[in-house]
Amino acid sequence: MIIVVDGLNRHQFSDVLDEMFELRARVFGERLGWDVKIEDGKEIDEFDHLDPAYVIGLDDGGNVVAAVRALQTTGPHMLSDVFSAILDGEPPIRSATMWESTRFCVDTQRLNRGKDKNSVSYATCELMIGSLEYAKNAGIQDIITVIDPIMDRVLKRSNCAPYDYVGKTVPMGKVSALAALLDCTDERIDAIRDFAGITTDVFLEEDKALELFNSKKQLDQSPANRDHKPLTELEKYFVEQMNAARTEAERQDVLRLIETLTDTFTPEQKTALLHTPRAFAHEA
Amino acid sequence: MEIVDLSTLPDSETRYTEFLKQVCEKHDMDHAAYAGMNPAAGTVAGFVTYDDAWNEHYQKQGLVMIDPTLHMAKRSIAPVDWSRLERSPDFQRVFRDAHDFGLSNQGVTIPVRGPYGDIGFLSATRDCSKEEWRKLYTHVISDLQSMAVHIHDNVVTSDELTGALYHPNLSTREAEILQWVAAGKSQQDIGDILSISHRTVEVHLRSSREKLSALTTPQAVGRAIAIGLITPG
Repeated sequence: MIIVVDGLNRHQFSDVLDEMFELRARVFGERLGWDVKIEDGKEIDEFDHLDPAYVIGLDDGGNVVAAVRALQTTGPHMLSDVFSAILDGEPPIRSATMWESTRFCVDTQRLNRGKDKNSVSYATCELMIGSLEYAKNAGIQDIITVIDPIMDRVLKRSNCAPYDYVGKTVPMGKVSALAALLDCTDERIDAIRDFAGITTDVFLEEDKALELFNSKKQLDQSPANRDHKPLTELEKYFVEQMNAARTEAERQDVLRLIETLTDTFTPEQKTALLHTPRAFAHEA
Repeated sequence: MEIVDLSTLPDSETRYTEFLKQVCEKHDMDHAAYAGMNPAAGTVAGFVTYDDAWNEHYQKQGLVMIDPTLHMAKRSIAPVDWSRLERSPDFQRVFRDAHDFGLSNQGVTIPVRGPYGDIGFLSATRDCSKEEWRKLYTHVISDLQSMAVHIHDNVVTSDELTGALYHPNLSTREAEILQWVAAGKSQQDIGDILSISHRTVEVHLRSSREKLSALTTPQAVGRAIAIGLITPG
């Protein structure tokens, strides 16, 4: 699902943004070998301080799996500055109805090569649909996007071939970079939706997105689950008891028993057990 | 109805208000306002179609300091529908007052970010049902974006210093396309001549118009000839 984070709501989504900056560090720093600044595992540049808009894709587990950044072309943006080599010294296009999109990335480690909901292809299409619809609703007619040749191929394969290119392809890190033009028309959006089989609204409301993202955080915070330590015999017993409980009274009995055995467990184990079955769901 | 290019209106303060009135008329809005800040020149500009009574109140109460339609929109790249601001206390303060002056709290603010840290806001408001507003918004938002940049560029370049910085910087491609337009070629022809899509031609023309602070292509051609960027037909 897609969430748009900009200067108005970013205070609510700082954890989501951090995860996106980490994804960008992996993609642009490590995989593509671009000359980007990475601090504390996050790739953040000066354009991130200009209140851009981020279109971010979350998977069903609440992980950030795709992201892109948008800026107006009337003011400071990357093609007028750090990507000027692509334009070969020419001034960039400036238009009220054109946005620039940069740092388009998907998590190829987490996602698979197929076409299902957990694939690179699906996440890319969903992000494209989200970006194009967000832009179109803002009255934007075209997007100029800085991408690498692999992303260019992905776009072509996803019924979203750029209608033209501007400037030239220049070497950048392990790959190269180019500027492509995409129209924000219903025809293009429909074509991607057809390809990916996405018929529903891709946008998640703010509170729903936070809920989804935070549900993952809670899981991460239960240590017994995080390091996938094998469960002790006693822990296993409680998980079984909990799963076997048929009524609320039976469930309460198990919880009481866990409470009385406080000395036996570390506080982390206890907390995790009390959240059974969710905390141990995939192990039990 | 065609909106008159700002630079063709007589050079006075009222031309901006005149322009805003035309924007309202063309796009079915009750009122429109422009506010702009130009740090290079250290100036703040404001033009509105509101009644004097509200203007006076707005200034006297210093509402500009808290007006969320400006302060929040500054942080967005997209137009900000005022419904997104409803929950803030500042919004309630400003619009409780506005309500007393018969002004609607239904509107949109379009932020414009310029190249030199300059920033402008075009706001438009309309008192109507939510459903009607959605329809109107979708219909006019793209054009309002262009109008926002047009008034902003004209206000900013009217300052001598920034005007000098804002010298139209056409790319080779943009100048080439304008030159073909001056020679009477259609967009389709030009796309064929240059082996690029006609949408690319359109995108370059839009960019050229904006860089030349023109609303229409003929105006852009005229101006490009006047400053020697291209030659007559």
